[in-house]
Amino acid sequence: MEYLSIFFQYVGQYLKTRLTYRADMVVEILSDFLFQAVNLVFILVVFGHTTLLAGWSKNEMIFIYGFFLVPFSIFASFFNIWDFTDRYIVKGEMDRILTRPVHSLFQIVLERMELESLFGAVTGLVVMFYAGDKLGLEISWYDPFIFLLLVLGGALVYAGIFISLATIGFWSDSRTDIMPMMYNIGNYGRYPVDIYNKIIKYVLTWILPFAFVGVYPASYFLKRDEWYTYAFLTPVVGLVFFMMAVTLWNIGVTKYRGAGN
Amino acid sequence: MENIIEVQNLKKAFKSYSSRQGLKGAFRDLFTRNYTIKTAVDDISFSIKRGEMVGYIGENGAGKSTSIKMLTGILTPTDGKIVVNGMNPHKEREKFVKTIGVVFGQRSQLWWDIAVQESFRLLKKIYNVPDEQYEEHMKDVIDTLDIGPLLDKPVRKLSLGQRMRCELAAALIHNPPLLFLDEPTIGLDVLVKLKIREFLKRINEKYGTTILLTTHDLSDIEALCERVVMLDEGKIIYDGPLKELRENWAEGKQIQFQFSEKATLEELQNLTKDHLVVWEQGESDLIWVASVDSDETVISGVIGKVTAVKKIADLKILEISTEEIIRNIYVEGAVRHG
Ligand SMILES: Nc1ncnc2c1ncn2[C@@H]1O[C@H](COP(=O)(O)OP(=O)(O)OP(=O)(O)O)[C@@H](O)[C@H]1O
Ligand SMILES: [Mg+2]
Repeated sequence: MEYLSIFFQYVGQYLKTRLTYRADMVVEILSDFLFQAVNLVFILVVFGHTTLLAGWSKNEMIFIYGFFLVPFSIFASFFNIWDFTDRYIVKGEMDRILTRPVHSLFQIVLERMELESLFGAVTGLVVMFYAGDKLGLEISWYDPFIFLLLVLGGALVYAGIFISLATIGFWSDSRTDIMPMMYNIGNYGRYPVDIYNKIIKYVLTWILPFAFVGVYPASYFLKRDEWYTYAFLTPVVGLVFFMMAVTLWNIGVTKYRGAGN
Repeated sequence: MENIIEVQNLKKAFKSYSSRQGLKGAFRDLFTRNYTIKTAVDDISFSIKRGEMVGYIGENGAGKSTSIKMLTGILTPTDGKIVVNGMNPHKEREKFVKTIGVVFGQRSQLWWDIAVQESFRLLKKIYNVPDEQYEEHMKDVIDTLDIGPLLDKPVRKLSLGQRMRCELAAALIHNPPLLFLDEPTIGLDVLVKLKIREFLKRINEKYGTTILLTTHDLSDIEALCERVVMLDEGKIIYDGPLKELRENWAEGKQIQFQFSEKATLEELQNLTKDHLVVWEQGESDLIWVASVDSDETVISGVIGKVTAVKKIADLKILEISTEEIIRNIYVEGAVRHG
């Protein structure tokens, strides 16, 4: 409860800071929208030529892509930890975080949030409604709740994987290219996994479970009942990976060496 | 009185890896890596009582910051036991840090682009300080540190001295009973230093705040701390009153005579042959320095004998400065007990 109130204080401060740089904000929002528009056009062009891939129709693939954007944008707004090692370990900023009475990971989430990324969720919803309309999908009263649950699960999958990677910084502060690589792998979750071979499918399901951010949960709304088990595993997988990451993080904090000034 | 800090056989060792040279070296690094172990804090024990102001001193790299980081729960000790405010800093970190304030002179605790006031407000939320307590306590802090006019400026636009005062205020938002200051006066001008010292004295008196402070400016220590803990290569080499340190080390005084006419060593030695005196010539043959024991009869005896015979233009009694004492200790690397 206390964390919730701290969260809102930070969000308030964030908006206030953004509003003081009003011109910047307008430019940023415009460029965000432009980016999302380009994204949208891109999706339509890429999928425009495909008709059927491994049993998935064009509109189904567009729908999956749209769904993927929602948890991803939530992840991108709150878990900007790709530069954690540089920013907090090498520069010793973690010292400051650790002298405050709030969980260290939560503080970093708060300090690094970028709420503009949430616009991606809007694009995602637009894409989903467009594709859903073409597919003639129906929405039941409970679907919005299931949607929230699955989106949350997907965001936690992403967060879990990237937090785990960030914790490497507690043990070794040497530079690696693992983060950008993982962003690329994450993109595979945007497409139906059965277009890949068995090994990749297995990896995307159980090791780096990015499939739980896109295809699996989306298949619930596409009424693909052969995937329902996976769809409903989404929140579980999200929670498991996230908790594992937090445990790793907590162990990592005890290994923090600080910067020697 | 109860101990607010208790440290037993505390140790911190850093393992640092080094890479071998060349391609062959890099290849070998894949399998076995060379490392060296640096013991930054080596088996230290001490305790600090409520309300004390303790100076923690030592040369660069002596291990001061490392100890403070362990005491504040930032680093996990390699070995040993720490109890601060009745808690193990690292084990119960989040609960523990509510009871301490920390300032690192080299590093900002405030948010860079937001106004000082906003930083304070976020910290107030983080520490969950009730409004009434905040208003009353912070008004006092802000007035004493004279930072009222700075509150609506973003931290990045403040000068070092202005920022430092704000940092201090920020560390005190929750009015902690214990304050850790790591080089709080680094790079500050004399006036700001004085203001900060005044302030620290004041909160120590008013709230009984215990303060552990590291600094390279010994005048800070002289102004604030009765007790010093001196560290050298990770070991405590002195722990006791500053006064005692001075007395043990500053054995003797120097009397500097400036004569109106030339004086010779022989002549002076003859005059003072009843006392134990070492004469040394100063900058010219008019200036002579007598090193004597710190004993009133000797000092007045020497001055009496000399001035009875020779005309003097000036006379100074010099005491060896704390600065010099500490320097001597650093050079010898140990404290003589006597
Ligand atoms: N993160 C680290 N990794 C490796 N070695 C470290 C680290 N932090 C400190 N050290 C080493 O530990 C020793 C003590 O460092 P520390 O920062 O505690 O010294 P200090 O007494 O605070 O010195 P100064 O007066 O320069 O601030 C130094 O030799 C330093 O190189
Ligand atoms: Mg230091």
